Amino acid sequence: MSGASGARRGIFTEDLLDRCISCGFCLPACPTYDLTGVETSSPRGRINLMRAIETGALAEDDPTVVEEASFCLGCRACEPVCPAGVQYGALLEEWRDRVWRGGRRPLKLRALLWAVNRRARVRLMGVPRRHARGGGEAASLMLGCFERALYPRVSRAAKRLAPELRAPANQGCCGALHAHNGELERGRALAAELGDRLPGTIVTTSGGCAAHLASVLGRERVKELSQWLAERDGGASDGSGEPSRRLRIGLQDSCHLRNGLGVFREPRALIARLGEYVELPSAAACCGAAGTYAVLRPEDSARVLDRHLDEIAAADLDALVVVNPGCYRQLEQGVKRRGLRTRVVHIAELAAEAL
Amino acid sequence: MATTTHTAMDLRAALERVVGATHVRDDAGTLLTYATDATPLERGRPDVVVFPATTGEVAGVLRVADERGVPVVPRGSGTNLSAGTVPQLGGIVLVLTRMNRLKEISAGDLVAVCEPGVRTIELARAAAAEGMLFPPDPGSHTTATIGGNVAECSGGLRALKYGVTRDYVLGVEAVLPTGEVIRSGGRLVKDVAGYDLRRLLCGSEGTLAVMTELTLRLMPAPEATGTGMAYFGDLADAARAVSRVLASGVLPVTLEFLDRVCIDAVEGYANIGLDRSAGALLIFGQDGDRASIDRDMRRMAEACEAEGATQVRIAASEAEAADVLQARRAVLPALSRLEPLTILEDATVPRSRIAEMVERIQEIARRHGLTIGTFGHAGDGNLHPTIVLDPADAAAMERAHAAVDEIFADAIAMDGSITGEHGVGLVKLRHLEAQLGAEHLALLRRIKAAFDPNGILNPGKLGS
Repeated sequence: MSGASGARRGIFTEDLLDRCISCGFCLPACPTYDLTGVETSSPRGRINLMRAIETGALAEDDPTVVEEASFCLGCRACEPVCPAGVQYGALLEEWRDRVWRGGRRPLKLRALLWAVNRRARVRLMGVPRRHARGGGEAASLMLGCFERALYPRVSRAAKRLAPELRAPANQGCCGALHAHNGELERGRALAAELGDRLPGTIVTTSGGCAAHLASVLGRERVKELSQWLAERDGGASDGSGEPSRRLRIGLQDSCHLRNGLGVFREPRALIARLGEYVELPSAAACCGAAGTYAVLRPEDSARVLDRHLDEIAAADLDALVVVNPGCYRQLEQGVKRRGLRTRVVHIAELAAEAL
Repeated sequence: MATTTHTAMDLRAALERVVGATHVRDDAGTLLTYATDATPLERGRPDVVVFPATTGEVAGVLRVADERGVPVVPRGSGTNLSAGTVPQLGGIVLVLTRMNRLKEISAGDLVAVCEPGVRTIELARAAAAEGMLFPPDPGSHTTATIGGNVAECSGGLRALKYGVTRDYVLGVEAVLPTGEVIRSGGRLVKDVAGYDLRRLLCGSEGTLAVMTELTLRLMPAPEATGTGMAYFGDLADAARAVSRVLASGVLPVTLEFLDRVCIDAVEGYANIGLDRSAGALLIFGQDGDRASIDRDMRRMAEACEAEGATQVRIAASEAEAADVLQARRAVLPALSRLEPLTILEDATVPRSRIAEMVERIQEIARRHGLTIGTFGHAGDGNLHPTIVLDPADAAAMERAHAAVDEIFADAIAMDGSITGEHGVGLVKLRHLEAQLGAEHLALLRRIKAAFDPNGILNPGKLGS
């Protein structure tokens, strides 16, 4: 069918790779195809590259192959538009597991993954910060790794919204960073470990972590905060009443939360109770944070972000809500750089302020 | 070998002078991803991929190619289903997606003017925002470019009422393979000055000229749309219902059918409550003002009942209509999940012979031991027999090829066509003579030679 030899090299799961029917419906959904207009930087193009390295038609260290494995944001916007149900995110994980093996992994990435690879290190990152702690017995609140260091106020806000949540400090990293960056096995092991330490439902303030955890522990056990609140409150009003001034509030979807778990109505419904919800044209598109992407490829990341900043400026938002720590950092920095008046805020914080 | 390398370097350098170095790609990975389109199994390998931004740059690229006798394959988003954009003889793949300016939407003249790389859905949305309709809506319209749709004369779901892409092309600007720029037609509905070259270019599959600007006709947007569905025990009943609908004075905007295999596959995949015991499902719809929609929907429901429909439903809400259309949209995804390979054909027969043709297809499937689901446009006789199989099974592949040959032969015998909307491309070229005859093919070759004396534009396909 393709390539020099018919034999497969076992880099990819056969069923996953065979699923693609090459229709090209994914092209307009892809941020890197949007930036470049080059098929090679589209999901269909990348799957053709994967097929080529699987059959040996291209070497796995071919420069274009290596570049595209890294240039892809991994946002999975191609999945909901795919008529054939290709699990692109899973394929990308397998691809990076191969091309970023050992010494070929970018240095910055090695440092990031090292920091969160052990529970004690993750715990240490949170010590100087005042993230949420202890208490509760219902579900558990996941504190995250980098989130607890960068945005401890998010977990505190979540605890104010739901004091019944348990928040033990010694819970480790969910492994999403590993899984997305060439350490698939380690990523799965960390998720399983976290699942053992936090029995029952795990509530997270990070869309990216939610999708990875759910892929290992099952969807029933993992809930993003707004999703969990909606289920807890049965969609009823939180009784905060009409805010005195209607804030104009936009949202930046978390890619994996939306494209991986199909959760995007819940945060919108919650925001609509807090102010006037404004749907930005690119609300569902990747902001360029994309996990480690903003660190590894800052220039491409900024190019992806530009359109979002244009839209935030044009809509003159009072607040832009995020549901994932990576997006938080990306948009906070972008808004600051542009000098926009919009406040970037996590959904937990905004909801807690309305209590 | 040294000569080849020298030639390749000279070609690349010449192309770089035209479009700039960043818009010329010849790395192995890029060449590989432009070796295919949406057609299964077919692949070529281009020598270089070029991304021009202006008509002048297109002309420059074509001059470079013409001087050197290098093949040029024009390409939009690569959603072609007949391997029309596969560069099987190598050469230059000319990607037109950078030419994506929507220049004008004119409510006064009811036209849109745009470059070929505009996606069809963007054009339709821009027209809709001004209260107008661009009717052609091929299945790939979210991805496909308008240039590709014109070059292939794409159809879609609304063809019975609104026609196909050719019915909306008022004018084109095109670059000949020898580098000259011509215009044919324009903003006028009436214009008979000269041969109708814009119509000739429409459906020419990138073999005659490269279109660089299109002037397209728009329609006033209808107020609303109604949708309904009917189950039949047998496809023949559904076909008679279609004839009765049309005889009743209704020209529906939608008239789609699914056969038994498709119904079963869709329900197995999407679980949307379809009746798996049915032999056929007919989806019908009308657009216009509310009163005429209500009247036409009622008439169509009555026609279905009169022909023995086992169940008829008219959607009462937008959400219900979306559910009905979901059944049609899910056919290809559902079928494609059955096996790794999906071969989608588009044989077309006169409307009155749909039932006969679908029966023939089912007989062919049985005889060859293949799974073939047939769905399509009941209103215009355009069928999509879809074969699903495992390409690793060499014997099954052989039987599939034999089945396709028989389907084409049957379609031609029924005064039909080997292709209603996907194009001849590479995969149906060998069947073309059976439909058109030797004299007709010879004329196509003379027309091709008049446009393209050195035979550089999409060679080995239509007109070659």
